[in-house]
Amino acid sequence: MKNINIICVDDQSEVLDSVIRDLRSLEDFFRIEGTESSEDCLSLIDEIDSRGEQVGLVISDHVMPGTSGVELLKTIFNDSRFSNTKKILLTGQANHADTIKAINEAGIHSYFEKPWNAEELLNTVKSLLTQYILKTGIDHTEYMPVLDQAVLLEYLRKNA
Amino acid sequence: MMTKTKWLKAIISIVISIGFYFLPELLGVSLTPVEKRVVSIFMLAALFWILEPFPIWTTSMMVIVLMLLTVSNNALSFLKTDSSGELFKNLIPYKSIMATFADPIIMLFLGGFFLAAASTKYRLDMNLAKVLLKPFGKNPKFILLGLMMVTAVFSMFMSNTATAAMMLAILAPVLALFDADDKGRAAFALAIPIAANVGGMGTPIGTPPNAIALKALNSMDLSVSFGKWMAFGVPYVIVLIIISWFLLLKLFPITKQSMELKVGDKFLKTPKAIIVYITFALTVILWVLGDGVHGMNSNVIAMIPMAVFALAQIITKDDLNKMSWDVLWLVAGGFALGLGLQATGLAQNLIGSIAFDNFPAMGLMIGAGVLCLLMANFMSHTATASLLIPIFAAVASSLGGSLDGIGGVTGLIVSVAFASSLGMSLPISTPPNALAHATGLIDTKGMAKTGIIIGILGMVLTYIMMYFLAAIHVF
Repeated sequence: MKNINIICVDDQSEVLDSVIRDLRSLEDFFRIEGTESSEDCLSLIDEIDSRGEQVGLVISDHVMPGTSGVELLKTIFNDSRFSNTKKILLTGQANHADTIKAINEAGIHSYFEKPWNAEELLNTVKSLLTQYILKTGIDHTEYMPVLDQAVLLEYLRKNA
Repeated sequence: MMTKTKWLKAIISIVISIGFYFLPELLGVSLTPVEKRVVSIFMLAALFWILEPFPIWTTSMMVIVLMLLTVSNNALSFLKTDSSGELFKNLIPYKSIMATFADPIIMLFLGGFFLAAASTKYRLDMNLAKVLLKPFGKNPKFILLGLMMVTAVFSMFMSNTATAAMMLAILAPVLALFDADDKGRAAFALAIPIAANVGGMGTPIGTPPNAIALKALNSMDLSVSFGKWMAFGVPYVIVLIIISWFLLLKLFPITKQSMELKVGDKFLKTPKAIIVYITFALTVILWVLGDGVHGMNSNVIAMIPMAVFALAQIITKDDLNKMSWDVLWLVAGGFALGLGLQATGLAQNLIGSIAFDNFPAMGLMIGAGVLCLLMANFMSHTATASLLIPIFAAVASSLGGSLDGIGGVTGLIVSVAFASSLGMSLPISTPPNALAHATGLIDTKGMAKTGIIIGILGMVLTYIMMYFLAAIHVF
């Protein structure tokens, strides 16, 4: 188990820790990793993929030294290995143009503004990971306690 | 991903089933090598289905492939002949093994899948639920009964899981308005899986164990028509639902005085939606009327909606790919096991070596039901039926007339199929139970208590019904 990875990216380590802390209730089912730059994130997901594991979700900050968060998510979006990976942009400093680019070119699934509501973030993460699991055909019964009920029930109504 | 425990379970299963190859000899039962291989494959399937090192449908696929490789007339050459080079006489034609996947009963189920997929796609399920729930008003007690009835009716034609998922989704927002200490929440959350499991017994296509029973009956020329099954299945479901309703109200009293369900909207009136409504109604009518009236058996009728929905592009290529093919493979594997027991002569041999003749028929019937009910609580209902029905079918046919007073061979097989649908005391018993448990509104203890009581009452009701059906010469 713990084949599905959640990657959090933020150059400020206290922010990174805080995001990871908010997701701690998912730890029994997913591997939660943190990186402090886009470059580290890319090499990490490359390594995860070559281990035969999945990248279920990337939560990234935008303004970071080196490659920006939107550019990072765009790279992931265009990589066929990660075509099902869910993406959240978590930022306080993205301007209008960045946001448009994040939606149009990086295909982000959700946008959170700092400071964020922990419960809301957790619920969004659960919902996105449920969609990821159902879409990729991973046996959802092993993840029952952390799945988003509404998403699961709607899927099963149509597909069971 | 295979974890270490799963590998361990797989290896233990393989070792035990190889051991079973030698067991008959040790017990002094003489079997041919082909029969012993079937014993081993049967044991392997049983252990894989119980311990679940692999998803259950994959075990079915393995059964079919192992049978092709070891006991078919196209098996590996060194497995086809004895030590003197003579061909074994009881090899199974490979075409019969492969044909289990295209068995008419599989087609019947596929037809059912088409109907379910089309009605979900055109929201017939949600909208029909709205209409059917309306007469039950706003009193939570009667809404509970209404929900159970509607769930049961839907699961007669849709999969138990899809029905439970739909009804739980309707319920979730309403239950959120209940007080946290209102036991009624548990009554509602439990009502759905109970009704979904029970409803499946109402029609031949309601749930896969029924397919296993139909197949066994067909192979003994005892076929039960769609209409005949419904004639006893539907009243049975209604009575058991009402009993369960009383039980739920007693165990989990509802304190909330009034509630309102928000479900569905207007019926779609597009040409495609209308084709769905008409085809659905027509198929059910043809099924109920039966071949005595129009000449078509239920399997053939099931193909009509397939053609209509495909041509009208109501079911697209994408929808077709999304059908629950795993369920069909699961059932096919069950058919293959039954074929293995019958066609190699193994069933006859084993039954012949045990003195069933002096066995009290009633004892056998109840023993079979209890064993089946017990197993179905811990493993897949379909897998339980796949393992037990072929065996009890063989036992029953060897008993001759002594079963007549309690429904004969048909009564025994149907009651075993019913028993396998009544396993619902644990979250792992069935997918609907797992979904209800995941809502967090019902604990395992409450589910176990209710499930055990309904399981036992359901079996008693089954036996009373079989006695009655035999008395009026239906079976």
